[in-house]
Amino acid sequence: MLFKKKKQEQANEGELPQSYWSYVKRQFRKNKRALYSMYLIIFLAFIALFADFIANDKPLMCKYEGSTYFPVFREYGVKTGLMNWQEEFLMAEWYELEYDWAVWPPIPYKNTTIDYMNAPFVGPFDKQDIKSARWRHLLGTNKLGNDVMACMIHGTRIAFLVGIVSMGIAFVIGVLLGAMAGFFGDDQLKMSRGRILMNLIAIPLSIFYFGVFFGKSLILALLAFLAVFAIANLLGKLFDFIPFFKDKVNVPMDIIITRFIEVVVSVPVLILVLSVVAVFPPSIFLVMGVIGLVRWTGIARFIRAELLRVRSLEYVEAAYALGYPRWRILLKHAIPNALAPVFIAVAFGIAAAILIESFLSFLGFGIPIELNTWGQLLTQSRQAPEAWWLAIFPGFAIFITVTLFNLIGEGLTDAIDPRLKQ
Amino acid sequence: MFRYILKRILIFIPTLLVISLVIFMLGVYAPGDPVANLMTVTSGGENMDDKKAGEEAYIKKWKELGMDLPVFYFTISSQADCDTLYKIHRKAHRETLAALTEQHGNWNEVDRYYKRLQKFENTVLDFVPDSVSTKSWGRLRDNTGNLYYQSKSSTIENTFSKLDRYVSKINDSLNVIQPAFAALKNDYNNISATATTWKNYVPSFNWYGLNNRYHKWITRFARFDFGISYQDRKPIAKKIGDNIFWTMLISIISIILTYILAVPLGVFSAIKKGTTADSITTTFLFILYSLPNFWIATLLIIFLCNPQYLHWFPAFGVGTEAAEGKSFFAALGIRIHHLILPLFCWTYGSLAFLSRQMRGGMLGILRQDYIRTARAKGLPENKVIWKHAFRNSLLPVITIFANIFPLMISGSVVIEVIFTIPGMGRMLVDAMVAQDFPVVFTIVMMVAALTMIGYLIADILYAFVDPRITYSSKK
Repeated sequence: MLFKKKKQEQANEGELPQSYWSYVKRQFRKNKRALYSMYLIIFLAFIALFADFIANDKPLMCKYEGSTYFPVFREYGVKTGLMNWQEEFLMAEWYELEYDWAVWPPIPYKNTTIDYMNAPFVGPFDKQDIKSARWRHLLGTNKLGNDVMACMIHGTRIAFLVGIVSMGIAFVIGVLLGAMAGFFGDDQLKMSRGRILMNLIAIPLSIFYFGVFFGKSLILALLAFLAVFAIANLLGKLFDFIPFFKDKVNVPMDIIITRFIEVVVSVPVLILVLSVVAVFPPSIFLVMGVIGLVRWTGIARFIRAELLRVRSLEYVEAAYALGYPRWRILLKHAIPNALAPVFIAVAFGIAAAILIESFLSFLGFGIPIELNTWGQLLTQSRQAPEAWWLAIFPGFAIFITVTLFNLIGEGLTDAIDPRLKQ
Repeated sequence: MFRYILKRILIFIPTLLVISLVIFMLGVYAPGDPVANLMTVTSGGENMDDKKAGEEAYIKKWKELGMDLPVFYFTISSQADCDTLYKIHRKAHRETLAALTEQHGNWNEVDRYYKRLQKFENTVLDFVPDSVSTKSWGRLRDNTGNLYYQSKSSTIENTFSKLDRYVSKINDSLNVIQPAFAALKNDYNNISATATTWKNYVPSFNWYGLNNRYHKWITRFARFDFGISYQDRKPIAKKIGDNIFWTMLISIISIILTYILAVPLGVFSAIKKGTTADSITTTFLFILYSLPNFWIATLLIIFLCNPQYLHWFPAFGVGTEAAEGKSFFAALGIRIHHLILPLFCWTYGSLAFLSRQMRGGMLGILRQDYIRTARAKGLPENKVIWKHAFRNSLLPVITIFANIFPLMISGSVVIEVIFTIPGMGRMLVDAMVAQDFPVVFTIVMMVAALTMIGYLIADILYAFVDPRITYSSKK
């Protein structure tokens, strides 16, 4: 509705906004398939975000011994360490308490809740040992008695988390390197020999300090890493009094980074991710980090190509003519205008990351086993062929999510660059 | 052209080196002690002789695996760290010592404490308790052993207070344990007393030379000497030789099938562009492309290989036992029966991918001027499509072969696991579960090398089939 109204407004004004982004938006909206995929993804993201409120083993709100509580909200406080459970709930068996009244989430189970009465493998249409229809396991249970519906909902969260965070990491690396390659090209970056020397020395040092602080905190480690380079560049200036070190030489940024991209592209991603994740104890952060570290090349290539094009456009030249510093032109003018095609790579990348996550879960690597992600549910079905619900629903969820992201990617491709259309 | 190939090969070398480094470091930093995992005799025991025997066996195995060498050519560590820590054979001890050094920053004192601890343990083990103090002695021995794994000062002090109690309970007539324990405590207190934590923040560079674990492994690897599997002590080359057959067989059949089916499908949907038939094919191919193969494989194995539903296909293996002793054709039938489902799962993804590429390429060509010219000069549509358009759109598709091939090998992992096919993918997963690093290294490196050779072949093929492409830069 909202969107129709907007269209009318535009029609009334008689002209459409001419900016690049509004053009892309309009083109994307024309593609109905991609548009509805977008709506569905927003819906799934909503489920992922509010998974705790949709499926939980605690009441959303309850009246217990005369006072009203909000256990699900409280849980967030407890998890972040800001609050503690009230005395009476410390050891509470949430299902057993005698509430005056309670509002339970739509699915009154969590992905980790174990229902011993309905295990192993009770199907959605089987007779279930439950208090009332309200407590029915809508999609059945698995071997331990985890509610499959609850696992599906919390699995959405894990899939989205892995997809978005890993692509976020890839985005940062890809944009940084791609922008450097594209903007500087092979002939734009001139550095004094002193600074080059100091930067080369800084590489092992930064790794060392990253390692030293890594045990304490990741942010501190990253700061130390950057600080080493900052200091190295400052010290590089000191060399200026020696003529040899003061001479500026050309740094072929594009060649260096393109070669690096070629190296990373040749890595067999799936096998490498699999072996990294298999070696260490299961951790969702490791999975996200590793996927992010190997999947940035697409983004970097896109942004490099865009910037090589943008670099010679008039507005960048105009910015130079106005005397703006180079970093400002890069950050404020060049990158925002080159970002559009990167979203294509991001959409496809999220699809691939979700697929890799479920692949790893399926093989039993990387994701803690008690989370019951989509891939893990699917794998459980192999031990119990009679539990068809374990084979169908999680697989379908993976398929749908991956397909929707791919469709968005295609829609974006069509909208942003019709030349890429096949 | 030659120069281009040379350039590509020059890129492959660092790529392979990077992958080998990553994978090697994984093996080094993986949790768990490979030496201990391989030991048949458990070391550390009730008395001195047991302990000595166990320790000797451990050291022997440790040296046999070549782990008594530094890990890499050089390390960048801190001033506080010890540069010859690798000479301590127990991995758990190394970790404890490294943690202690990190806390206090003075390796010399930590080392003195470690040696004292060993001496103290020997003293305790040598001690012959009388009947009254046997129990205390046993506890003393166990708690002393625990010290090797403790690096937090609170835990160590806790253990010390326990030791204090047991030492005082023991009837120590010869007065050997008391002074030894006092010396140990003294040495421990000395660590924190002379702590130089600042040394942790001063980098130091240690050079170890060529005699290191990575160098030995990679030079052997370059000579195709892959070593021995931890799991069953077989040479890895032989293991891979046994397993590669099925992966290769299925991959090759699958690639052939992909091409036979995908090319006509792509051409068909391109020339019928805009019709219902085209949109059905396109949608179908898109869905096929997005279907995760492990889901389809699971569904197939559950619903088509199961007495509960339909039992049309055998669920496991490649029919080696069933085919034994049968005539050639009967055996072939059994093999095919086993391989239909894996082949399907193996193929459909690349089939969809290739068809889409084919369709895209064909559409691009059909828009070209020379096609219009061909039509304008009155050539029959058949000839236009098959002689002019098809030939040209085939070129890029041929080269995709090289990209599909390595993808198939890594994609095979999950299919082989699901259908229990004794191939490379399953071998890799099994080796990972068993932390059998030599096997993991070898397979990952092989896949990486194959991937790169694939890319190289793609580039060369591309240049050969399309004479317009030259890789030599003409400026």
